Amino acid sequence: MHSAHFDGSFAGWREAARTLLCHGLAPHQVNWRGDGDSGGLFDQAPSPVNTQPAAEPPRIPRQLLELLQSAACFRVEDRWSLLYRVLWRVAQGDRAAMLPGDIDGSQLHKRLKAVRREAHHLHAFVRFHPRPETVEGPQLVAWHEPAHDILHSASEHFAERLGRSTWLIATPDDGIYWDGRHLHYQRPCPDEWQRLAQTPEDDGQALWLAYYGSTFNPARLNRSALENSLPVRFWKNLPEGPLIPQLMSQARAGAQRDGQATAVAQQAGKSIRYNVAKKPPISGNADPAPHH
Amino acid sequence: MQLIEKLTVLADAAKYDASCASSGAPTRSSKGKSGIGSTSGMGICHSFTPDGRCVALLKILLTNFCLYDCQYCVNRRSSDVPRARFTPEEVVTLTIDFYKRNCISGLFLSSGIIRSADYTMEQLIRVAKLLREEHEFRGYIHLKTIPDADPLLIAEAGRYADRLSVNIELPTEASLIRLAPEKQLRTIKQAMHSIHLGESEARVEVRAPRFAPAGQSTQMIIGADATDDSTILHTAASLYDNYRLRRVYYSAFSPIPQSPNTVPFEAPPLLREHRLYQADFLMRGYGFEASELLSGPGNLALDIDPKLAWALNNREHFPVDLNRAEPAMIARVPGIGVLSAKRLVALRRQRRIRFEDLTRLRCALEKAKPFIVTQDYRPLQASRESLLLRQQLSEAPAQMALW
Repeated sequence: MHSAHFDGSFAGWREAARTLLCHGLAPHQVNWRGDGDSGGLFDQAPSPVNTQPAAEPPRIPRQLLELLQSAACFRVEDRWSLLYRVLWRVAQGDRAAMLPGDIDGSQLHKRLKAVRREAHHLHAFVRFHPRPETVEGPQLVAWHEPAHDILHSASEHFAERLGRSTWLIATPDDGIYWDGRHLHYQRPCPDEWQRLAQTPEDDGQALWLAYYGSTFNPARLNRSALENSLPVRFWKNLPEGPLIPQLMSQARAGAQRDGQATAVAQQAGKSIRYNVAKKPPISGNADPAPHH
Repeated sequence: MQLIEKLTVLADAAKYDASCASSGAPTRSSKGKSGIGSTSGMGICHSFTPDGRCVALLKILLTNFCLYDCQYCVNRRSSDVPRARFTPEEVVTLTIDFYKRNCISGLFLSSGIIRSADYTMEQLIRVAKLLREEHEFRGYIHLKTIPDADPLLIAEAGRYADRLSVNIELPTEASLIRLAPEKQLRTIKQAMHSIHLGESEARVEVRAPRFAPAGQSTQMIIGADATDDSTILHTAASLYDNYRLRRVYYSAFSPIPQSPNTVPFEAPPLLREHRLYQADFLMRGYGFEASELLSGPGNLALDIDPKLAWALNNREHFPVDLNRAEPAMIARVPGIGVLSAKRLVALRRQRRIRFEDLTRLRCALEKAKPFIVTQDYRPLQASRESLLLRQQLSEAPAQMALW
């Protein structure tokens, strides 16, 4: 068994994998150590392997490298062995290894799907808090807890979305800051960034909470559909998170009889007097009725 | 009235419209520019409410004052609901604030009919124009189109909006006459035609101004009248054909406060709505005709999905050999979707398909088993009667509502 040491990055793994591939080392002969440990690439390798003339590096489809790079964002105890196994098999000419129906390919695609989904979760569930205009630093800050290492590759989206506004997203592991022109990525996340993101001075959430409560239709209460689409692990960082259990229990306690939001039902209503016989308001400027 | 009170009333008034899609827009970016907003074609659901429905857009009415008296609508003039009206500037402020917080991807604006159809449409356009021109907003905008509005106003709306929609409301003209006396099928279809025309012109002429690049959609209310699923699906199919609609939304009729006795006061038929969406998806994505899914009058089965129902009624096409069949036929097998069908075809170029491959592709095996042949598998149930299979595959009747 050979321990392959590298810095834990995909670029580092790719270099190491290329060398191992040229030396003809099969997946079961390699133990991946992506912990930045300073041991050499072949620290336990017996000499015959080291002295073998390196073959021409095999041609690897660009598409496979993209798949592997993306799958490397998936957090799992041993994230590199599967990637090398797929790489090895494709290099041997067995391209089924890349396909979702294959025994290794299905694992690879499961990781790819989870990574794509987590990037989508970032785009969907990050909540920015505006900061007072008088303070220094980013205008918008957000705290997010992704399940995979997607922050770096998936954050460009917010630069396109928010134009010249400056923003910061901090996570327990890494952080990213857009200064209006460039992205600055930091791993580990600086303490200052984490502090900014976790203690926003934001008193403007009431409108969003009012909207969320009102757009919910209690007559259609469906907890499992909610939890499938909005996993419970995200609730604690969403401003609307604490509202969810409240709205559900209100619905069960009688609000489910019709679709109206409780806050609206409590207000006095107003029907509109209108003389239909006079003229039906169809096209043109039928009847000026300033009802407001 | 405070802004937050208006928002509470006008979001409640707008939620019976099912559509909240923010997909289909062209790619736009604000990177390095003034203004904000981007679109990428793919929609984003920023939140979900406890009814399991997605929140992608700020979905509100400009006002819920309304001169019409549509019986199924909470905002009908005879309804005793609180009324409110936003100024265009208030809608803009809310949209930009929610957008910066990353709570939404854009705005879906509709309105009660005030003064006249044209006046109402002008108000909606004014909001979109303010957002696009004054605030350089590049996010998604969906505008509801008022059926009787001047076609020139519809053309103007199409320049600012990504999507336009006119609601067909009810699946038949008879129901529309009975329940929505001020609405007319003729003018609803005219508005759909104007939008379709605008889309076609923008597509054909290179220099034509852009026009609703995410197309048009519509909504049908399910269960407010007695129309059967067969009529509903055939109506939807003809709308897809005639006006190239991107989507028909089916909205299970939700009981409304102080319900008039012309419409039911009972739990919304959610399972029926779900089956209609499945059937609609089979028409849009799988090449099924409405007449294949329901050949005569009647409703879709509630205990099995429409693809399984079709397969059980058409046993002569099965079992399908996954190593030989056309991709379109593989996608017609219950439990195997279009994506899995594509993946099976890619895999069989490398080697023969075996039964365990289906497990890895996460196909619904219990449903698929009676209908497929692989290199190592032939169904024992191939000759079993459809009635028995149906009993075996039927989903336990689920009680969807509490009352």
